[in-house]
Amino acid sequence: MIRSRKLVFASGLALALAALGLGQHVLEARVARESGHAVMAPRFEVDPLWPKPLPNHWVLGNVIGVGVDAQDHVFIVHRNDTFDAQTEIGAVQNPKLSDCCVPAPPVLEFDQAGNLINAWGGPHAGYDWPSSNHGISIDNKNNVWIGGNGTCPPPGTADCPAGTIDSFILKFTHDGKFLMEIGTPHATVDSRSTTHFGRVAKIAFDVPANEAYIADGYGNKRVAVLDMDDGHIKRFWGAYGHVPSDSNPGPYIPGAPLDPQFRNPVHCAEPTPDGLVYVCDRVNDRLQVFTKDGKFVKEKIIKPWTPGDGSVWDIAFSRDPQQKYIFMADGKNEMVYVVDRQSLDILTSFGDGGRQPGEFFAVHSIATDSKGNIFTAETYEGKRIQKFVYKGMGMVAENQGVVWPFRR
Amino acid sequence: MHRRGFLFGGSLLMLPLFAGAAQRSTRAPAARASAARAQAPRFEVDPMWPDPMPNHWILGSVTGLTIDARDHVFVVNLTDSFNRRTETGMELNPPGEGCCAPSPNVLELDASGKVVGHFGGPGAGYQWPEMNAGVGVDGAGNVWIGGQGGADSRILKFSRDGQFIAEFGTGGAVAAAGSERPDTAYGGVSPGRGRGGRGRGGPVRAPALPANSNSVETFGGPARFSFDAKANEAYVADGYRNHRVAVIDMTTGAIKRYWGAYGNKPDDSQSSKYAPGASPKEFGVVRCATLSTDGYVYVCDATNDRIQVFTKAGTFVKEASVEPQTLGGGSAWDIAFSRDPRQTYLYVADGMNMKVHILDRQSLKELSSFGDGGRQPGEFYAVDAIATDSKGNIYTAETYESKRIQKFQFKGVGPAPVNAGVVWPAAGRSAKP
Repeated sequence: MIRSRKLVFASGLALALAALGLGQHVLEARVARESGHAVMAPRFEVDPLWPKPLPNHWVLGNVIGVGVDAQDHVFIVHRNDTFDAQTEIGAVQNPKLSDCCVPAPPVLEFDQAGNLINAWGGPHAGYDWPSSNHGISIDNKNNVWIGGNGTCPPPGTADCPAGTIDSFILKFTHDGKFLMEIGTPHATVDSRSTTHFGRVAKIAFDVPANEAYIADGYGNKRVAVLDMDDGHIKRFWGAYGHVPSDSNPGPYIPGAPLDPQFRNPVHCAEPTPDGLVYVCDRVNDRLQVFTKDGKFVKEKIIKPWTPGDGSVWDIAFSRDPQQKYIFMADGKNEMVYVVDRQSLDILTSFGDGGRQPGEFFAVHSIATDSKGNIFTAETYEGKRIQKFVYKGMGMVAENQGVVWPFRR
Repeated sequence: MHRRGFLFGGSLLMLPLFAGAAQRSTRAPAARASAARAQAPRFEVDPMWPDPMPNHWILGSVTGLTIDARDHVFVVNLTDSFNRRTETGMELNPPGEGCCAPSPNVLELDASGKVVGHFGGPGAGYQWPEMNAGVGVDGAGNVWIGGQGGADSRILKFSRDGQFIAEFGTGGAVAAAGSERPDTAYGGVSPGRGRGGRGRGGPVRAPALPANSNSVETFGGPARFSFDAKANEAYVADGYRNHRVAVIDMTTGAIKRYWGAYGNKPDDSQSSKYAPGASPKEFGVVRCATLSTDGYVYVCDATNDRIQVFTKAGTFVKEASVEPQTLGGGSAWDIAFSRDPRQTYLYVADGMNMKVHILDRQSLKELSSFGDGGRQPGEFYAVDAIATDSKGNIYTAETYESKRIQKFQFKGVGPAPVNAGVVWPAAGRSAKP
């Protein structure tokens, strides 16, 4: 089915553009890729009707994290202050402008069918809430961890003093009851700090070791490893296992010598049961692999011509015992790569830019459930989550484009 | 901060009720079956329409959509409504690499959703609008385009493959000197708040011109077109700045007649900001002027939350309010008629309440509605334009940061809920063979 679909797609494009006589060279390149030699890889199809519409005229802002718990419930965190007041959330203006829409609470939990199960989060007495929440992960005890990548520009507020940053992470129960705040809040950048963080992007867990790995972050340029119970910082490292430095490297220049340090943001730090840690050095367009004590093992450069936001945004592992595949979200080139975890070779990719199902605008976060399905979250004006249903192994093109379940 | 604190408190209170709320949402169709239902057309979104576009093209804010006699869909979109850093990165990449690139201003799609034609942008012999808005295809298959930019005062006419034919409204536009600046906040300018949206770095717009609703030389942000082929007349919703309907000769573009609200001569000095409950004497933002087969002109007085009906000569017939509590951009952004011979139903795109209203065309009573806010299939953010094809299907276009078009398949007339919510296919999640 996939094969015939691709043929239909390719020939449809060919017809359309032959008729136009424009953009032909680009078209040929794309068709060539799509009909290029097929590879064996996990296959996916977008579920265009997941999740179900939200109640209460709720809408999502920048979706900035997605995680899956042990019962395959999907958690997201989004920025519910990233709306245009006049056109997007008229229902909460004073005076009220319209019936729609209303910002949804920052943390939402969905079941496998896409039903909304719970909603919570936001500022509350007893703890700080990030000025810009970022990343959500659920540990083996069903607790929910949230980072934050905000800054507090002048003039600042009591909750967000000018010149400080989100330098802490939060731990909640599954239902949103506050458990712990880790890191001195409202500090400043310091990649060697053992008391606070620097705009944390994402959190992941090594359960047997009772350790959390912190992608730290948008201010700091390091991986930090914590004790999951008391939160103390046990060790940290920078790119290639170096001691991290907070010197300013200037903008990323494609083709320049490899940067000896991470750039901001360090966007993921994911341990595996076989003792490795995979780190998204987003703007440097690379994935670095370490041992759990921070020794550099290898790296993979992904589309190093990618400027600006970079190509390596987030990763998730396939759920087979060997975690044979890495699924890598590239929010700049608007696709997900399927990477062989051992060789770090890209086997195939899917997705393209756009607002339709299976297309992306700034695919920011990625997670897998126990059935091997992929969930993605889009930030900026993408403002949505999507589910890609695992369809088993099969032969696929090197670049699959938009993976729809059927063609009419 | 206060708002977020409030939401948190609210959500805590809601928790015990929450499962109920969510279930109500998902079970709504069954629950509503017991309520009294009007007979109305029913629709289901087609989540797989249109096809993905070639060349990593993406749509900007979509500011117009229409259907031609062959059921081809024409859209106009704002090709400069992108964030170059986050959205249209191909400009800075090696050739052909990465994503994405702005699609052309005007796209033609066939009924299956494939791009089969495109054109648009500046060219020799005419001035492309600063912000193209509104597209109409006349009986000869020619494509008419308006503009919502603060100084857009002209109408362009092209063959359907993009050959320039005519430019109307080229007379001297009135300078803004000394007059009050018009309120263009809802003129369609993509607001681009939030990170990675259009925001900073958006195009610098020309200074806005004042309304000039009694001009017979220029238009004031022409928004939509409809055509009376027999009379060789085009009805222009004029518009984003002016407060009138203008009827022009389709060949020469000469303004033959025009009128304001209730058929009166428009008086721009009397146009005021809408307050719910008021019956303004002037039009606000006039976003559609759509001719029915039985010879009436239906006008979207968008910011005044109403539809006014006129004879072709401009005699006022009747009016109806649509969600009259709506502020800001208003509730009546565009209309389309059902395709039965009598055009029994009127579909109203409501870009502030994020839905489509289904009205009985004769009584102007609302029978049903569908849609809700969001970015998923069947949801809307700023649904700006609406049209129907010969099979009765509805097509919609979304502006601002939604930047997409959608198709809603006509599923026959039957008992319809007052509010159908998000109309997903009944087959739901099962894939077609």
